[in-house]
Parts: sequence; structure tokens; C-alpha cells
Amino acid sequence: MAISVKRGATGLPLLITLALGLPLAFGSQRAPGRVKPAVTFEEVHAKESGINWAHTNARSPEHYLPETVGAGCAFFDYDNDGWMDIYLVNSGASDFFTPPAPLRNALYRNNRDGTFTDVTDKAGVVGGTFGMGAAAADYDGDGWVDLYVTSYGRNILYRNNGNATFTDVTGKAGVGVPGWSTCAVWFDYDNDGRLDLFVSSFVHYDKSQYVLCPPDAQGRRNYCVPRFFKPRPSRLFRNDGDGTFSDVSRETGILNYPGKSFGAVATDVNNDGLMDLFVANDTMPNFLLINRGGKGFEDVGLAAGVAYGDNGEARSGMGVDAADYDGDGWQDLFVANIDHEFFSLYHNGKDLTFADKPGEIAPATQLLSGWGLRFMDYDNDGDPDLFLVNGHPEDTVEMRSPRVKYKEPLLLFENSGAAFRNVSAQSGAVFGRSFSGRGMAVGDYDNDGDLDVLASNNGEAPVLLRNSGGNRNNWLGLQLVPTRSNPAAAGATITWQAGGVRRTRLRTSGGSYLASHDPREVLGLGAAPKLDGVEIRWPSGKVDRLSNLPLNTYIKVVEGEGVSRGGAATAK
Amino acid sequence: MAFAFKKNRPIKTGPQAENIRPRSLLLNKTPLSTLNKFGLAAVILLPLFISPGAGAQNNTLIDRLEKAATLIRDKRIDEAERQLNSILKAAPKEPQALNLLGTIRASQGRLAEAEALFTRAISIDDKLVGAHMNLAYLYLLKGAPEKTIDELKRVLSLDANNTEALYKLSRLLLSHDRVDECIDFIEKSPQAEAVALLIVLGDAYLRKGDADRAEAKYLQAVVRQPAAADALLGLAQVSRMKEDVVGAQGYLSRAKGLAGNSPDLIYRFAMTALRIGFYDEARSSLEEAIKLWPGEPAYFLALGATWLKKPDLIEAEQAFRRALQLQPGSPQGQMYLGYTLLKQKKLAEARELLEKSLKSDPNIPESYYYLGLIAQEQNEDARAVEILETAARKFPSFANARVALGSAYMKLRNYPRAKEELELAVKLNPDEPKAHYNLAMLYARLKDPKRAQEQMRIVERLKNSAGQEKETDALTPSPPNPL
Repeated sequence: MAISVKRGATGLPLLITLALGLPLAFGSQRAPGRVKPAVTFEEVHAKESGINWAHTNARSPEHYLPETVGAGCAFFDYDNDGWMDIYLVNSGASDFFTPPAPLRNALYRNNRDGTFTDVTDKAGVVGGTFGMGAAAADYDGDGWVDLYVTSYGRNILYRNNGNATFTDVTGKAGVGVPGWSTCAVWFDYDNDGRLDLFVSSFVHYDKSQYVLCPPDAQGRRNYCVPRFFKPRPSRLFRNDGDGTFSDVSRETGILNYPGKSFGAVATDVNNDGLMDLFVANDTMPNFLLINRGGKGFEDVGLAAGVAYGDNGEARSGMGVDAADYDGDGWQDLFVANIDHEFFSLYHNGKDLTFADKPGEIAPATQLLSGWGLRFMDYDNDGDPDLFLVNGHPEDTVEMRSPRVKYKEPLLLFENSGAAFRNVSAQSGAVFGRSFSGRGMAVGDYDNDGDLDVLASNNGEAPVLLRNSGGNRNNWLGLQLVPTRSNPAAAGATITWQAGGVRRTRLRTSGGSYLASHDPREVLGLGAAPKLDGVEIRWPSGKVDRLSNLPLNTYIKVVEGEGVSRGGAATAK
Repeated sequence: MAFAFKKNRPIKTGPQAENIRPRSLLLNKTPLSTLNKFGLAAVILLPLFISPGAGAQNNTLIDRLEKAATLIRDKRIDEAERQLNSILKAAPKEPQALNLLGTIRASQGRLAEAEALFTRAISIDDKLVGAHMNLAYLYLLKGAPEKTIDELKRVLSLDANNTEALYKLSRLLLSHDRVDECIDFIEKSPQAEAVALLIVLGDAYLRKGDADRAEAKYLQAVVRQPAAADALLGLAQVSRMKEDVVGAQGYLSRAKGLAGNSPDLIYRFAMTALRIGFYDEARSSLEEAIKLWPGEPAYFLALGATWLKKPDLIEAEQAFRRALQLQPGSPQGQMYLGYTLLKQKKLAEARELLEKSLKSDPNIPESYYYLGLIAQEQNEDARAVEILETAARKFPSFANARVALGSAYMKLRNYPRAKEELELAVKLNPDEPKAHYNLAMLYARLKDPKRAQEQMRIVERLKNSAGQEKETDALTPSPPNPL
């Protein structure tokens, strides 16, 4: 394992926890003279990256619905070498599909030089189910990231053995969910320091149900609108701390909310220190599940104004995310819908009400269907921007609606303060291309300090996008190592100040669609030449205040101990 | 005397052609040019003042008046005016000359002078039917429909058999929601069995939701005149109301067969198809009408409305933009385009158009409503309240303004006012899902989940019963009035 010893920009050895308090002179929220470097995303082709795998969607004349909604992807560091590896989910055998040759998911090890090596078989993470998404986290707190794969059929929990191999512990752990699961979220709902697991359930479905949608006048079948199928409740598993989980869906109220759930994100919308859940439903109202004292959840979506569209219509919610985009200290929400429904940017009204204020995002997404998405600071100016991956679920959509395309473009919106500006056109040639986009993971796979993107496409190869220029602004990368808090540090709040500007970020969990992101936090500093300080408020309540920090490197911060002397990897 | 009024347009109008509904009265609803509208009125009325059996001198006067009328018809306005001035020089109180000169002034847009001339003619001869008719048209042009109604009633008191006046009056009453008065007028008239009036009666009963009586009147019209396309269109609407889709299609199909190459009839067919939810038929017919007569903005407005129903906002936008190119400054066109842009969240241009629309015509309630919605979208909640309060004051029965007002108050956390407005909105329009949805959200915020769920159940029921409509916005503008 090659972990570079972290040194600050000044070359001083690092670092000290200022347990007595950090003298952060927190000032205004907006930086004077913001720097706008030209940042582009460049497609890293398979011949360059070595990622030759492609998704098989199992498309059939019958048009079974699971064919069109997968699949996802993940950035995670399975071998703890400080470099993001990649996991890609594939279709597989199911009640409606027998692959002509075995299909498999793919694990690509990061070779630390921009290339990847397929280590799937060796690692033992082939999958073999009709896969949907992936969620990576160290559920057992042994320091090695584990992997949960959702499926139409049977989910799999792969425990990381710490030797570059995994073991399927689904049965033992008790997290096998029957039916059709989509997104999974690792988070600590009861703040006991262990990672619990929320699994989104999509509709009741089996192979006989494709007939619910009759063929069109030309005898062609299309994918059924989920309206035709019955909803199912999602699941919540409490981590018992011994490698097993208890299904607490009933006692926490999750079973009270049958849905047709796709995206889910854990965040704290009412600032009570407990992680809530925002769950997108397709053709049903979205759920905003408020965590009541770590004991149960109550859906307040209707009262909050995030359940329906403006006219009370349930929309086709797919991808979701949460972030405080305007720096007012409250988590805002985003949900992507299908074409003509518009995507929603819900601004938090601080009293469990939200107002949909999509601004420029709305006209840009009028004809699009959104799946993977993420608030991410792509230009390291400190505020969350927004990256969207799109694609229509119906391969025949163009026959009935010529303006709507099956393959759709990616979109990038830059946060300009209180609104978002569409910067796709000037952000790289890849934004001129179209994809059958589904999953989207964000991570700094080349450790150069700016966030890259991995988009998984239905029936196609994934697209790896390298961020070029995001690191022209200064930054600091944090690898958080909880000791008392949950191993993902989900719910931690990071506050940093640079150039007279203070920013805060809540560490959410889940989000996007069927995807899992780089767990590190990259703090954008803009043009500020130094970082005045960082404060980490851990879910346990512990607060670490750090100063004299380096720039443009990754550091490891241990809960209650501050910066670790053994740092994290940074590209030369 | 048959005057070919619109030489450049292959349609036939006038009450004498009973199978075709005259389309000239509601100028504020139909976007044909003012000049043509008024010209129609003037020319049609010419025969009214030619009295048979006059003496030689009178014959000379009549000849000169007829000549003036012919010159007006031929658009030789300067010569007509010289002729009339010459008559008036010799006989300053000649009411028919004053009336004709009034038509010239009206066609020149000099409405005040025209009104003075018509009024003077009437003051000299109160029984001059033509002057009353012209004054009726003039008041319509000036946006005073109540005065129009008074003048038409005066015409009918002078000439109870004046089918034209009766027809226009009944249509006008109907368009102003004075449905019972309209029915009463026609049924008491000796002309009640005229095909055109039977059709108006059918329309009136349809408006009242009395499908059986409407059907009876339309059928009576069809029996008397099998090619009465408007009666067939009415029957299609009745069938749709009775959920007889096949029957509706049959009547529509018969009406379409009568339309031939008449863009006007095709347009009316399309409007009916649009009204009863046959959007594809409506759209293809409008495209056909546009091919035949590409210069008519009303066709593009209607086409845009069909695209709104699809919904394809981009096509709708293009159609409305074309309508506005043909008739720049049309407040209705601006409203439609503004609405379409609002639906696409192109808020800046939408706002600009709707503000223009409102300036030109402050009597379109939707313009206020949409501007209120835009203000809300632009986070100007106080401004939204101001606009919507104005709309609610001006149009107290306009439920959508109440819904939006309730929503705006909700955003301002003024829940008592929000409740007041939303509860009023559902009383005004119990079939508006948006009102029930907002009320559900409000009850949920007020911790009354039971009532919230009740409201959401109503939303679901309304959306399910709305069929295809459920995919569209709760307030798609009504199609242009085919009058």
C-alpha cells in the first residue's frame, strides 16, 4: 500500500487538532472577486482507461420493465490504496431473462496512472443477479469498504475481506430483500455509530406483467408506465454491530409508505442532527421521511411541498440529491423527473416547507428525463454545482414524441450564488453527445483535486469523464476517519473558511441514482491562497477544529484526533 | 343585393347563408381585422334604407346614395365621401347619408366621429334600422357590449323579423353568459325556427348542460337543413357529453364532409374537435385550414391550443408566435404565448408578453393569473399577492386567481388567508385539482391530515376522470372563441 505522507503546501509536517477551539473569523458568505477558471470534462475512452466493460440491458420484444432502468456504478477504494476504484453493475439471469452467456458486474482497480484493471473475478464480485445499483460503505467498521448491490431479484452484500477479495454475506447479514430494489443508502438513522441500510423498493413486478401494456397500433410493445404496477414499501435495516442487521421497517414506520422508489438521499432537512430521507417515487408522490428521534420516520412530503408537482400531480421522480446550494445553512433538495415534468430544485424554507425554484434548470430539462445527478463543486470555488445524467426510459419514445430523444445529453449547471447557470455548452465536447444515461458517481479518480464523473448507461459502455481545470482553484481533500461516529461519517458537518468566506457542507449519504460516490470531501477554496481553518462536527457530537492546513492535497482526519500523520494519496 | 365583401378569402358569411354561422360580431374574441369587420356591417345594411316607391327626386337621392354605397363596397372611399358630402351639402339632415358617412369614418378607425354620425342619423330618424345596427357594431368595437345589446334590442323592436339582429343579439348574450336571456329571446321570437337560431338555442342549452334539449334543437336544425354543419358540430358535442365517443366521431365526420375547402368551416370543425378532446383531428384540420388560408391568426391560436393539449409546448410556442406575427399586439395572442413560455419556465419573456397583454386588454383574467404565477416563480411573493388580489377583485368568480392567491399566501406563511382563498376557490370551481391540492398541502401544514387526505382523494378522482387532460396543466387556456 503506497500512502504518501501528507505535507502542507509549506512543507510543514501535519497537523494538530485544536481541541480548545479554532479562531475562525467567519465572515461573509460570498467571496469577493470569484475566480472562474475554464473547467471542462474530457471523456476518457476505453482504450485509454482500460474499461472495456459494457452494460447489457437484456432488451426483449416484450419490453420487461427492469430492462430499462439499470444500471448503476460506484467509485470506491476497495483496496485502501487511496485511489478510487470503479464498480459497474450489470443485468443478469432473472425470471424473464436468460443470458446467452453469463453476464457479470465489473470491478476495476485503479492503476494510479489513469488506467484500470478488471479484477472482478479475483475479487469475487461478479454479481449474477439482474443488477440495479451499488452502495459502498464500511458497514462493519473494519476499515475496509464493503459493497451492497441491489437487484431485480436478490440483493447482495459483499463484505470486503481486506485482501482484495469479497465474500457474499447477504444471508448471514440478513439484508436480502426480495422483489425489485433500486437505490441503497448507508446511513446512521439512530446515531448509534453504526451504518444502517435503507433500500428503495420499486414496484411489484414479475415477468407475467409486461402484458399490462398492450402493443401499439404497429404491434410494438413499449415499456409500461409504472402507474400500472402496485407499489411496495422500501426497507430499513438496523446494524446490530455484529455483522448482522435487523429489519426495522415496521417499527420505524417505513412499511407505512409503499412507493415506487428510485433515488434516495439521506440528509438532515430540519437541522436536528438526525438524518432524514428524501425518496423519489415514480408516478407516486415523493416521500420526505423525517427522522423522529432516531426511532421512526414520518412522511411530510405533502406538507413540505416536495411530494407533487405544482398542480398536485405525482411525477416520475428518479434521481435525487441534497445540498445547501445557497449557503443559508439548510439542506435543499433536487429531484429529476421525466420529460415535460421538469426537474425540481426545492429550496428549504427552514420550517419543513420547500419552494420549487429551478430557475434556468427548468427550461434546460423540459424535454429530458433525469437519473444520476449530484451537487458537486466541480470548479472548486466552494459552492455546490450540479451535474445531471439523462436518458429516456422508452427506446421507442421518438416515434410518438419526436422532440424527445431516447439518448439525451449530460448537463452541467454552475452555482452562481443563489441560482444555477447552464454551462454545459462550454464545458467540453462530451456535452454535445447523447447517452442512455442512468447511474452517476462522482469522485476524484486521478487524485488531482477536482471531481471527475462516472456515468453508467443502459445497454452501453459507461462514460468516464476527467475534470480538467477544476484544480486551478485551490482545494483541500479530506478523508474522514470516524472513531465514534458511523464509519461513513454520514451526517458530519464540515465548515471551512478561506479568503474571508465561510462555507459549510453536510455530509449526505446516497443520492444520485443507483450509485455510490467517492467518500472523500474536496473543499474548494477558490483563489484564496490559504485556508484559515476547518471545523468538523462529527455525528457523535465531537468537534475537531483544524488549522495550519496545507493546500491542494488530501489529508486524513481522524475523529477526535485531528489530522493523521499517515495521509491520503494525492497525485503528483 | 349580394355584396362580395371579402374578395380575397374563400368564405361566405352573412345570415342569409343559414348553414353557415355568421362570424363577425364578437370582435374582441375573433381576431379578424377591424376594418373588415366593420365593412361587413356597413355593406350588409345598405339595403335597409332603400325605400321602394319613392318619387323622382327621391329616386335621384336614392340613386346617389346607392352609388355612394357601391363606392364604399369597392373601397373607393374618397369618391364615396365626395358623393356623400355633396348629398349632405344639399340635405344636411339626410339620415341615410349620415349613416353611410359614419361607416366610412368607422372604417378609417375614427370611431368617435362615426359614433357622432350614427347618433345624429338616429336623432333625425329613430327608426333607421341600419344606423342602429351600425351603432351596435361600433359599440362592440369600442368594447361596450352592453350598449351593443341595447342597440340590437332597439333594432328588434323596430323590426321583429330582423334575423340578423336576433342572431347577433342571441350570440352576444350567449357569449356573455346570459344564457337564459338568450334562450328567452329566441323562443319568443317569430324567427325561432330559423336554422341559425335553432343552432344558437342548441348551443345555449349545451352551455346549460342540458344535453337533451340541445340535442333536440340541433336535430331540428339538421332536419330542416341536413347540411347545417354547425348543428352537426353541436351534436358531436352532445354525444361527447353523453360519453358516446362513436356518435361524436360520426357527427364530426359528417360535419367535416361538409367543410369542403372552406377554411372557416374547417376551423369551426377543428374548434369543436378541440373542445371535445379529439386533439389530433383538431390539429390536422387546423393545419389544413392554414394551408388554405395562411393569413388568419385565429387558426394559429387554435393550432397552438391543440399543441398545448398534446402537450408539445415548443410547437405551441411556434404557433402562437406565428399568430402574433400576423396580428402583432393581439392581447389574446400575447396571453397565449406568455402562458406557453411560462409553462416552459421562460419567465422573462413570458412576463413581458403578459404585461403587454394586460396593458392592451385589462379584461383577460388569465393574464393576471399567469403574471401572478410568474411573480411567485421569480420569488416575488408580495408582488404575486398584489397581482392576484387585483385579479380576484376584478374577476371575483375566477377560481384560478383564488388558487394562486392561496398558494402565494401559503408561501408567505399567512395560513388563515391562504385557507380563506383556497376554500373559496374550491367553492367556485370544485373540479379544479390544483385548488384541492393546495388545500391538501395547507391542511397538512395545519396538522389536519384527515382533511388533507380527503382533498388529495378529490385530486386523484378529478385527475382520473379527466382522462387525457390529466397530463396537461390545470389551466390550459380555452380555445379561441369561434364566433
